[in-house]
Amino acid sequence: MAEQAYTVASDSETTGEEKTSPAFPEIAIGIDIGTSQCSVAVWNGSQVELLRNTRNRKLMRSYVTFKDEVPAGGVSDELAHEHDMLSGAAIFNMKRLIGRVDTDPVVHASKNLPFLVQTLDIGVRPFIAALVNNMWRSTTPEEVLAIFLVELRAMAEVKLRRPVRNVVLTIPVSFSRFQLTRIERACAMAGLHVLRLMPEPTAVALLYAQQQQQSAQENMGSGSEKIALIFNMGAGYCDVAITATAGGVSQIKALAGSTVGGEDLLQNLMRHLLPNMKDLFSHHGIEEIKKMGMLRVATQDAIHKLSSEMAVPVDVDLGNGTKISKFLERAEFEEVNKEVFQKCETLIKRCLCDAKLEAEDVHDVIIVGGCSYIPKVRNIVMSICKREELYSGMNPLEAAVRGAALEGAVASGISDPFGSLDLLTIQATPLSIGIQADGSNFVPIIHQNTTTPVRKEQNFTTVHDNQAEALIFVYEGDEKTVEDNHLLGYFKITGIPPVPKGVPEINVCMDIDASNVLRVFAGVIIPGAKCPPPFMEVRMPTVDDGHAWSAQTLHKTYGSTLDLVTVKKKGQH
Amino acid sequence: MCCNSYGLIPISSPPPPSISPSSLHPRIYFPNYPSNFQVLGTKFGSLKAKSKLNDVVSYAEIDNRSFYDLLGISETGTLLEIKQAYKQLARKYHPDVSPPDRVEEYTQRFIRVQEAYETLSDPRMRDMYDKDMAKGLHFAFSARRRYQSDESMEDKGEWRNRWQSQLSDLKRRSMHKDSSNSMSWGARMRRQRNEASS
Repeated sequence: MAEQAYTVASDSETTGEEKTSPAFPEIAIGIDIGTSQCSVAVWNGSQVELLRNTRNRKLMRSYVTFKDEVPAGGVSDELAHEHDMLSGAAIFNMKRLIGRVDTDPVVHASKNLPFLVQTLDIGVRPFIAALVNNMWRSTTPEEVLAIFLVELRAMAEVKLRRPVRNVVLTIPVSFSRFQLTRIERACAMAGLHVLRLMPEPTAVALLYAQQQQQSAQENMGSGSEKIALIFNMGAGYCDVAITATAGGVSQIKALAGSTVGGEDLLQNLMRHLLPNMKDLFSHHGIEEIKKMGMLRVATQDAIHKLSSEMAVPVDVDLGNGTKISKFLERAEFEEVNKEVFQKCETLIKRCLCDAKLEAEDVHDVIIVGGCSYIPKVRNIVMSICKREELYSGMNPLEAAVRGAALEGAVASGISDPFGSLDLLTIQATPLSIGIQADGSNFVPIIHQNTTTPVRKEQNFTTVHDNQAEALIFVYEGDEKTVEDNHLLGYFKITGIPPVPKGVPEINVCMDIDASNVLRVFAGVIIPGAKCPPPFMEVRMPTVDDGHAWSAQTLHKTYGSTLDLVTVKKKGQH
Repeated sequence: MCCNSYGLIPISSPPPPSISPSSLHPRIYFPNYPSNFQVLGTKFGSLKAKSKLNDVVSYAEIDNRSFYDLLGISETGTLLEIKQAYKQLARKYHPDVSPPDRVEEYTQRFIRVQEAYETLSDPRMRDMYDKDMAKGLHFAFSARRRYQSDESMEDKGEWRNRWQSQLSDLKRRSMHKDSSNSMSWGARMRRQRNEASS
């Protein structure tokens, strides 16, 4: 496997060439790239099978080590991780860092990781580097992910004895479309073609739909509609989804997600154990990295043990008189992470509210992800959903990848004689998409939790007399002002005729197709005009790195001269 | 986010003025669709006949079918029937499972089925839709937009609002006629521009 070097097949955006469909369609594999662990699964003709690496493991640590000329990932080499982590050569948590700028609090929180994360706080890509031979070797989350995916692909090709190109990847609900493009780019760099990017809980929902359909067939039941709430919490992210399932169709009613997970639990506890951690580790020298790594390993270990025990001893000697020797109680751990758990509660409640459902309407409550073993997390989910028991038909660490493999088979057009693949997911948009208008307000055009594919439009008008141009700023998110949402791109529409403000009708239309591609159309409609000005049709996102920066610069340069406002309804005075 | 405020229309609200082509003329301006405008006046009479059509229907004809016809259920259909019909049609028309060469067409159909489902599965929206249908004003496609915009409707000027939105719906509908050859929004705009400049 040594010659499977890091090859860049294409750095362009995803679907470069369209493959001519072969006689036997290639079954897309499902990949779950977790913040901490990864897994690969595929439909083997009769069921979903998880692929094992050379060490016979189904779950592999998500990290890449920069030691020699050729970087190596954690697919084959499992044991090296903790050692490499102490030397600063291992980069991990790429899923937390991908597609984020250096003003993002998540990036700032990553400065405690045992490698280099440096920020200038101006809205550009953070400086991420591994320590190789006492020198910082800069990298990007996309590159790290690509290296890792190359290894995963090689492993799958060996196991399946065929080339692997098409993949279905699971992603967190809270990922912005800009982050999705970074994932797609990493896949392209690894020579993989993304068939679908599936929010993790919706992959679990598909697995649930299959299980429900099978049990309905076995019991000759009516297969009536069942509502399931899926709570997924891993190391990096927490997601909630509500699905209505009947006859193999999983209809996503609502999605909610946040960048909160095991990593936050870990960091909060590390800070609790070593309050002056920030000062101790600020230099990022080889010694500091080693200490950071040691504290990290010890804390992680304690959290794992606290899932089954009420108290654990923590003993770490960080040298220079810094020594932690403590008996850590579960209650203490829960108190330190109060805010994280509160955030989980809020997400579940919001999701129920968005789905217009009460806890009593939910038939099954499913909890998956690495954090599902934490008693406090289980208690929160059970108490909000008002039940004594959780759904037990799934392995919490394998559910998402199994769902992704099912989707891979379905989306590849595979059918199963026993009807096991008569499945469908009707997805919904996790975040609202809209434009900037009425000052710096975010005006959603496609609202959150709208079923896709979808097409929506809205009219806007100019704010100045004789305004010839307008800037369409496309944002994604659910905050009131644009600054708090993700910028997806911007483009200018020109040739607005010289008329008083409020007269031109500027139509902005947004379209999400079956492949989740977002296109934004904008054009001017002038009643009675002989020659309407040209319109624009733009595939989003368009932004690359440093987008927060460019938005500020644009604002400084143009002020409000290119602004738009929403059209007030004529009946309202 | 809350969808409860749109049902404010009292039953005794003034009925919208009757719609006839002549009364529409001075109020709506169709820049480039004189021919569509003609069609509009004649459609009402043939609604029933059109809705009887089943399979091989063009987009234009689908547009004239009611939400009930779209879902293939009776006007007294229960919520359960609506849900079942929706899931069944989703299995047929969702682009993920549609034949590769008909994805575009099926996506359009799916969006319409979705609209029908969302309207009819919400008791208040369904009630409004039923009332409109009784008046002969049911335009399956894009009707939901109207119901949604009604959320912000104020008690005072509401009948006028409603009238306005019906007008804009008529306009939208006539715009939509142009897309009967499954033209994209972009293609429509292009054509509109070409027609205008020629």
